[in-house]
Amino acid sequence: MSTGLVDNWLNLDTFGAIYPFVGSEGFLTILGLIFWFGWHVWQHQKESTEFKGDIENITKQGGPGKVLDDEGSREAKDSIGS
Amino acid sequence: MDNELTALGIIFTEFYYWVTVVFMFLIHVGFCVYEVGASRYKNHTHTLMKNTMVIPLVTVTFFFFGWWIYFAFVNGPWIIGPLVDAPFATPWSELMGTHMGGAPQEGGVLTADDTAFWARINGVFWAAFLLFSWTAASIVSGAVIERIRPSAFWVLAVVIGSFTWIIDASWGWSWNGWMVQKLGYHDAYASGVIHAIAGGFALGVLLVLGPRIGKFAADGTPRNINPHNPWLVTIGLFLIYTGFWGFYVACNIPIIDVYGPAMLDVPDKTFFSATNIYLQPTTLSAITFNFLMSLSGGLMAAYLISDGDAFWTYSGGLAGIIGASSGNDLYHPIQAMLIGAGGAILAYKMHFWVERKFKIDDAVGAVAVHGYAGFYGIVVAGFMLWGYPSSPFEGYAPITPWGNFLGALIMFFVLGFFPALIVSKILHAMGKLRIPREIELVGLDINYETQRAVDAAEVARAIREEAG
Repeated sequence: MSTGLVDNWLNLDTFGAIYPFVGSEGFLTILGLIFWFGWHVWQHQKESTEFKGDIENITKQGGPGKVLDDEGSREAKDSIGS
Repeated sequence: MDNELTALGIIFTEFYYWVTVVFMFLIHVGFCVYEVGASRYKNHTHTLMKNTMVIPLVTVTFFFFGWWIYFAFVNGPWIIGPLVDAPFATPWSELMGTHMGGAPQEGGVLTADDTAFWARINGVFWAAFLLFSWTAASIVSGAVIERIRPSAFWVLAVVIGSFTWIIDASWGWSWNGWMVQKLGYHDAYASGVIHAIAGGFALGVLLVLGPRIGKFAADGTPRNINPHNPWLVTIGLFLIYTGFWGFYVACNIPIIDVYGPAMLDVPDKTFFSATNIYLQPTTLSAITFNFLMSLSGGLMAAYLISDGDAFWTYSGGLAGIIGASSGNDLYHPIQAMLIGAGGAILAYKMHFWVERKFKIDDAVGAVAVHGYAGFYGIVVAGFMLWGYPSSPFEGYAPITPWGNFLGALIMFFVLGFFPALIVSKILHAMGKLRIPREIELVGLDINYETQRAVDAAEVARAIREEAG
């Protein structure tokens, strides 16, 4: 069993491609494109879910103004070490 | 690889590009540091990740189609000729992988000459161009911080990083591009092919994206949203300067026999030299003089005009280099210094004028430093190098002011501004370009911040209990 064309290093001057599964490049390209495009789709879905959660979180805390006030007072407490 | 001298030449070239790639990585480190310094605390994590993910996304797409475009589009295609075969640069080519240079697979389109030439150079040459691609996308990244959706930005990053910039490189930054042949376009160190296009692209996105909330008063007066950490910004810009060295060196071909059969093919003559991307002889010494002198001209002018403002002094250094880069293979160092000073002044003045006049919120001055200074750099080179040959080969148009001016318009508007405007408008129409208003108000990192507060309270409670 061998995944590549290399079975020794004696004829190095004649070697071409030496990665495993030479000849599968077209298939690998399709896999790669699916991985790339799928990443964008998945990331977009996750981002939309995250933003939806963020908006719910902000609403639950009383709206953007309240969140900013709370954040401000927390930072003030941090800066005086309490 | 059967004699020492040939092997040394090949492996030196391979190593040369590899070193430039490592240096250029610092550009991206610098951009990340710079953007985190420039953004407000509430947006740090998303700002950092927005720029970091440019690396993998542009890399894989540059592998899939960017590299092929560079070789295939030199004629337009169909501006002066058809699409050009580039079988060594397709993602399914055996030369886009580990290869020892021997005979190609049977039944393929590659020749033995292809494999012998490209086996060792393809990966490092690809990477040198790829690092330029990251830079183009990263320039845009800074301008749009704190309100663009990361998913939208990454689509735009792929558009400029693996598509439009590499078309411009194929047209105007290759030895046989149609702009070089017909316009005499000369842009040796990429004032236009990286900076003007990225600045134009950023402007196109900004027009559709709009300013950050709070940037402009009700009467349109701009407010300063200062970097939260100016020291990080300056360290970031220092790193970008450092990476810029690698960028300059990567723009050259390190060693080639100018009279050899692969180039001019002059019998009985030999002249080994470094060349620029147009295969015109130059030296590392020349570009070292000019890099430093244009940086200095930019820094000095920007310091004076900005009254010693750190952000604009550093940015002016960059604008200085960018303003002189088109002709920095040929300029005298003092010319480079003065041209660099002009680039810095132009970038500074134009940034604030455009901000006031058109209400454009360019958070880091990217359109000015890269776009306007880059445009200026191409135009100035057209005048300064008027009449020089644009190529060592016969039949090419010479460098002229009108050739380079037309080239600057193509870079900034045709391949930068308009594609960005169109893609941004599509994303905007789909409601995918800008983050929701509530999130922009409180900051993109709201979920992290809330979780941090919960974690901190929990740990504080546990410590208090331990204390008894």
